[in-house]
Parts: sequence; C-alpha cells; structure tokens
Amino acid sequence: MPRQACTLCVSVNFHGTSLERQNFPHEKLYAKFGYGRYTGNVGHQRVRSLLRDRGLKATYFVPAYEAQAQPWAIEEIMADGHEIASHGFMMEDLGQAGEKEGELLGQAHEFLTRLTGKPPRGFRAPHGQMSACTLPILSRLGYFYDASFQDDFRPYALDGDGGTGMVEIPQNEMLIDATLYGLNHTHARVLKTWIEEFDAAWEEGGLLVLTLHPRSDYGSGRASRIGLVARFLDHVLTRENVGWQTCGEVAAAWRAGGNVGPGRP
Amino acid sequence: MRNIVWPQGVKCVVALTVDSDGPCCEIGQKVLPLGARAHGRYSGKGGIQRYLDLFARENIPATFYVCGHDAEAWPDLVRAIAGAGHEVAAHGYMHENFELGEAEPALLEKSHDILTAVTGGPPRGWRSPGGRKSALTMRTLQRLGYRYDSSEKDDDFPYLAEFDGQHLEGFMELPNNTSSLDDFPFYRVSYTPPSEVLAHWIEEFDAIYREGGYFNLTLHPRLGYGSGSPARSAIIRRLIAHIRQYSDARFMRMIDIADWCLREPARWAHGRIL
Repeated sequence: MPRQACTLCVSVNFHGTSLERQNFPHEKLYAKFGYGRYTGNVGHQRVRSLLRDRGLKATYFVPAYEAQAQPWAIEEIMADGHEIASHGFMMEDLGQAGEKEGELLGQAHEFLTRLTGKPPRGFRAPHGQMSACTLPILSRLGYFYDASFQDDFRPYALDGDGGTGMVEIPQNEMLIDATLYGLNHTHARVLKTWIEEFDAAWEEGGLLVLTLHPRSDYGSGRASRIGLVARFLDHVLTRENVGWQTCGEVAAAWRAGGNVGPGRP
Repeated sequence: MRNIVWPQGVKCVVALTVDSDGPCCEIGQKVLPLGARAHGRYSGKGGIQRYLDLFARENIPATFYVCGHDAEAWPDLVRAIAGAGHEVAAHGYMHENFELGEAEPALLEKSHDILTAVTGGPPRGWRSPGGRKSALTMRTLQRLGYRYDSSEKDDDFPYLAEFDGQHLEGFMELPNNTSSLDDFPFYRVSYTPPSEVLAHWIEEFDAIYREGGYFNLTLHPRLGYGSGSPARSAIIRRLIAHIRQYSDARFMRMIDIADWCLREPARWAHGRIL
C-alpha cells in the first residue's frame, strides 16, 4: 500500500499546426511540416474517445490559435466536460518573447475567454519556456495555477516565484509522451518507462501528471499509441488508493487543504 | 470517419515501400560518398537485391521509390525491380530534400524521363525525398500524369489530394509516417535494436488492422540509417510472417491502392480541409 493517496491528472497539450506556423506560411504546412494537421484529422478524436471510455476528465492546454482555427474541437472538449486552460497564443517561446510577452499572454487569455465563455484558470508555457515576467503577468491576469514546472511531485505555492496567489501543478518529463516519442523511441520503451515511473511514485503517493499530445510524430494520436495510453491508464487506475482529478481541481483542493487527496476513483 | 471500403475480402491493405536512397543522397548534399559517408552505396551493392529476393520468396508486390540518379547508376537493377512486377515510382533526382523553387519542374521531368527510359513505362507515384513539397510540385506531378503522392503525415487513410484548400482531380494522397513507420528514426535517432523495432511495427500493424486500415511501411536498403543489413532485413521477413497470419490483410503496390481509391474518388474526400 502507498503511504499516501496518489492522484493522476491527465493533461493534453492540444498542438495542431501552431508549432509549424510560427516558422512557415500556410502553404508550407504539408508533408514533413504537416504532422500537426493529424491532430484535427484524427488524433483529437482518438484522445477524446479514450478519455470517454475510461470516464476521465482531463485538462486541455490549448494554444489560443488552435482554438480559433478549430473551434469545433474546443466545443467538443467542453461538451465532454474537460477543463480548458491556456497554452499561450501560437507556441511562442516566452523566454524569447521580450516586451511582447504581456500582449501575447493577454491576447491568448482574451481569445480563450471569448471562445469558451469563461476565463481560463490554468496555464502551461509552450515548450515549458518562461521568462521572469511570465508568472507576474499570469498572476495579474487572474490565473490560479501554472502547470509548466518539473521540480516536484506535489503542488506548491508560486508566490516566491512571482506568481502571487498561484499554485504550481508540476509535471514529470518522463510522463510526457513527447519526451520519448520526440527521440523516436518505441512504444514498448515508452510504456515501460511510464510504468516504472508510476510504480515507484505510487509507493510514496502524491501527484502524477500524464501529458499527451494528439499529433502523429511526438504525440499519442496514432492507433497503436492510444492503445498504449489505455494500457497505462488501466495499470494506474486499478491500483489501490489512486484517483484522478483535473489540474484545476488538484490546485483548488491543495489550496483548500494543503494536501493532494485521492481524487475520484 | 470516412467510409473506407477495400477490395472484397480485404480488411487491411499493406504497402511495403523501399526508398532507393543510394549515394546520390550524399552527392546531392555536396558530400563525397566515401569512408563512413558511403552507406548509400550498399543499396546498389546488395540492399535492393536483398529486398527483391525477399519479396520474390514471399510473393509480395512492393513499391520502390527510386531516385533518378540511382536509376542512371544501376539501370539493370532498376529494370529488375520493374521486371519482377514491383512498382517503380519517383523519389527526386539526387534526393533533393531542400527548396528547389522554380528549378523543381525541370528536375521532376528529368527523373521522370530517366525512370521511363529505364523501366519502359512512366512512374505514376512520387514520394518527396526528405518530406518537402509545394503547390508547384503537385501541379507538375499532375501535369506529368502522376496519380498519387505519398508524402503526407496528417492522416491514417488515403484521401483525395488537396493543396491549399483545393482538391486535386484524379490524384490521391497515400500518407506515410516518418515518425513511427519508417526505419530512419529508429536506426538514426534512437539507435534501437531491430528486435525492438519489429515489436513496435507489429504493434502498429495490429492497431491499424483492427481499425480496418492502411499500413504503409517505409524502408531504405542502404546501411547506416536504413534496413539493408542482415539483422535489419531479417525483421522484415518476420514482420511479413506476422502479417501473413491475417488472411484478409493484402499486400498491394501503392499505385494499385491509388487506382482502387480513384474508382470512387468521392468516397475518399476529406470532410474538412485544415
């Protein structure tokens, strides 16, 4: 038995073509620059139906551009009851955004608020890159939590880092599909890594954030890979004292009680 | 989802595709194919023949994407590919994986003429060397009478080709995936042992088969990043044996898949163009 309860958050970084659009015009987004279109064509529906099958609510980190380009997908995500959080505007590296950063984050916030009908409460930095201004800007915009750091297995307060009033929901790079698929590792290695990460973390209890991408290169959108995610979820959710919550729910529960509860079974 | 219909009795089509990738890959990049840069010479010395022998033993029709320069260098070998009933399709002149601009149509025509002269018939399929293409590429291929391109990574199934919001009449897109169904990433990026690559491709096949799909595997007969070696070609034999367990999985040439789809083009139209 684990010493404490374990909570799983499933997060989905909704990457379509915004990554490539930063560097290439629309007419270049074909062939090797076209992996992002797999998200809207196929990957999104695969991730959706897996979450539905397992009865899970996830947190989708959505670049505002994707929400604007694929509003039907955002409607589906909301209709399924998932949480929508901000993931910047178009996959900008915020560490390099300079004085445009405030405008970028403000614009993303405004777009997502308009498209979803309420302001997003959570944020994850594109590429995990932040500047010293990112958290203060997010705090001013009213964000309640960030999910970009990779330095803990429990939520913590961000006041000391400039995110006044904010909570951090840290992730683990080995539970981000893109880490190993981005280096072209096999399905078997990815599943083995995830299971070893989970089994050891389960002994201690705490928070586990799984991060998926619906793309067909560094993500889990392909049929074979969504099958692997299903096997991992079944491994996790059948263990004792494990539950799941959205990132926003974990942040709120931690703020209320200073603890990671087991969440919903 | 589109209403996929394969030929009667077929649940999943399987295309084994081999990109010739000879020393022209290096020469085209102004690198001498000598010493450790000579991997591509193996395609002509033994890699292509190894796959011809394997496909002959297994009685499998396959597709070879041949660079024009390789066909000039190894005309007898390329004739043997066509003579064995495999499809010979185009793959650039010297595997140009960079922007060609206005020079592209002339190069596509050059390779087209070389392959036509060597094999006795015009190529009808094209795969981008290195995975780039433009509106000009597509227009030129259409003008030369091509019926499909196999360079997109944005779908699991063939679809009626489009470029920049326009559907292309009588022209199919037969997607491939250079991230999961290609030897290059595993042998050049993650340096994975062949047995683990086999397990990965078997998982890919099983998942695609269950969805009633289209399995398109890209191999390179060279050493280095390819599958030309004994160890790496051995797993292809084992993969074929795995697929052969399913009597309704059918090995097809890419052009035959394209022609099957083009019998009822409307069935393969994308619901939405992104």
